[in-house]
Amino acid sequence: MGMSDDEIKAAMIEKATKSPKPALYVKDFYKCDAETKPRKIKNLANELVKEGKMMFWSSGSTTMYALPDRIKDEEGEGGI
Amino acid sequence: MAKHDTPLLDELEKGPWPSFVTDIKRQAEKNPDCWDILGILELSFRDKITHWKHGGIVGVFGYGGGIVGRYADVPKEYPGVEHFHTVRVNQPASKYYSTENLRHLMELWDKHGSGMTNMHGSTGDIILLGCRTEALEPFFWDLTHELGQDLGGSGSNLRTPANCLGESRCEWSCYDTEELCHHLTMHYQDEIHRPAFPYKFKFKFSGCANDCVAAIARSDFAVIGTWKDDIRIDQAAVKEYVAGNIPANGGAHSGRDWGSFSIKKEVIDLCPTNCMWMEGDELKIDDTECTRCMHCINVMPRALRPGAQGGASILIGAKAPILDGAQFATLIFPFIEISAENEFENVIEIIENVWDWWMEVGKNRERVGETMQRVGLPTFIKVMGIDPIPQHVKEPRSNPYVFWEEEEVEGGFDRSVEEFRKRHAA
Repeated sequence: MGMSDDEIKAAMIEKATKSPKPALYVKDFYKCDAETKPRKIKNLANELVKEGKMMFWSSGSTTMYALPDRIKDEEGEGGI
Repeated sequence: MAKHDTPLLDELEKGPWPSFVTDIKRQAEKNPDCWDILGILELSFRDKITHWKHGGIVGVFGYGGGIVGRYADVPKEYPGVEHFHTVRVNQPASKYYSTENLRHLMELWDKHGSGMTNMHGSTGDIILLGCRTEALEPFFWDLTHELGQDLGGSGSNLRTPANCLGESRCEWSCYDTEELCHHLTMHYQDEIHRPAFPYKFKFKFSGCANDCVAAIARSDFAVIGTWKDDIRIDQAAVKEYVAGNIPANGGAHSGRDWGSFSIKKEVIDLCPTNCMWMEGDELKIDDTECTRCMHCINVMPRALRPGAQGGASILIGAKAPILDGAQFATLIFPFIEISAENEFENVIEIIENVWDWWMEVGKNRERVGETMQRVGLPTFIKVMGIDPIPQHVKEPRSNPYVFWEEEEVEGGFDRSVEEFRKRHAA
């Protein structure tokens, strides 16, 4: 029996909290549950953004995920 | 009245060609913020370093793409470009516009943004340059509600799909590029608007091998029209070309006297597979050797036409220079049927096979073509569930070792080491 969606989301939040890097690629979350398909992990990461628990940071060519309190707004204190 | 002295940029107005500096100055008369575009660019020319910071968290609600954050690192000196975000708008299929639509779009952009555009970006989107953060949502509301248009892709998303004119204007199109592009754009809205992959992923659709959207060079997933049967020949028209009564290449080279038309020099000798010849005054083609390159058809369009059984080749993995230089896409499927009747399910199946594999195996910021290069084409072909064919072979092998899979070896790899050692002592 694999992890539930809520359990995977909690593991993703924990990963984003403990990671030394403030922003993570979607692949960095794959290990939160190795049995779950990457596409599902991607959907859960995007759900977390929708719920306001994570944010996108994009360079324009790549997109990363970060916790709102770990990412600085360019209009505030000057970017990650 | 210019706000900044721009002696270096002014040099770019002196040639006979159109100048973006002149364009920005013209727009600055209407929107004074645009003077700061020139000011910051002049500063970059002087300092020999960019003064744009790239990226950010800006976007519109619910979307994870379509807006690219851009900020100046000298906002006090150039407040007009303090925020200068890029908005990517999904272009209409084949880039057909009405003037009414273009005017309305520009009214919105003058109202909410700088009025500066880039028509079009290399992916194909309408690029609107320069918007403050607080204007993004109002612009997006007007764009979607007044014009019924949507944002395109950016970041690690499926990028805005692009296609050639296809059957709407081109008699050579071997499938309906517009229908396929539209269908996949609608089918993959989630992937266009929210990040999904290790890096960007692009679809492009060309109706024939002339490849007017340069799918083979610019897209991770290129669908290029081709045909299964024989080139259709009108021998009477061939005679007219040979007699010089119909201009070659549709008259495209008529601006200069290139001498009389020679079917041998301009068609037969330039066939890459030497599959054409004349028998008397009849043109013959060995279609089994034809690579469907379109050259002969381009030269004599009234005499030759693509075959009637149209479809497409699928090529995967092109990219612009990143790690190992530019790379063309690799032919994976020489021919597939393209049909709206089954909602293009065979194309979708191939796309999702590629995605499922690449999402798992691809490294961060690695295009699918780079992943293919890293693991090797034999592995990729196996992943795609197809058998190797001659078209997959790029060059004769130089590696003398042959790698056998267990199922390819009679009896498999299981053997008794004791039995072996009876004959071969350690």
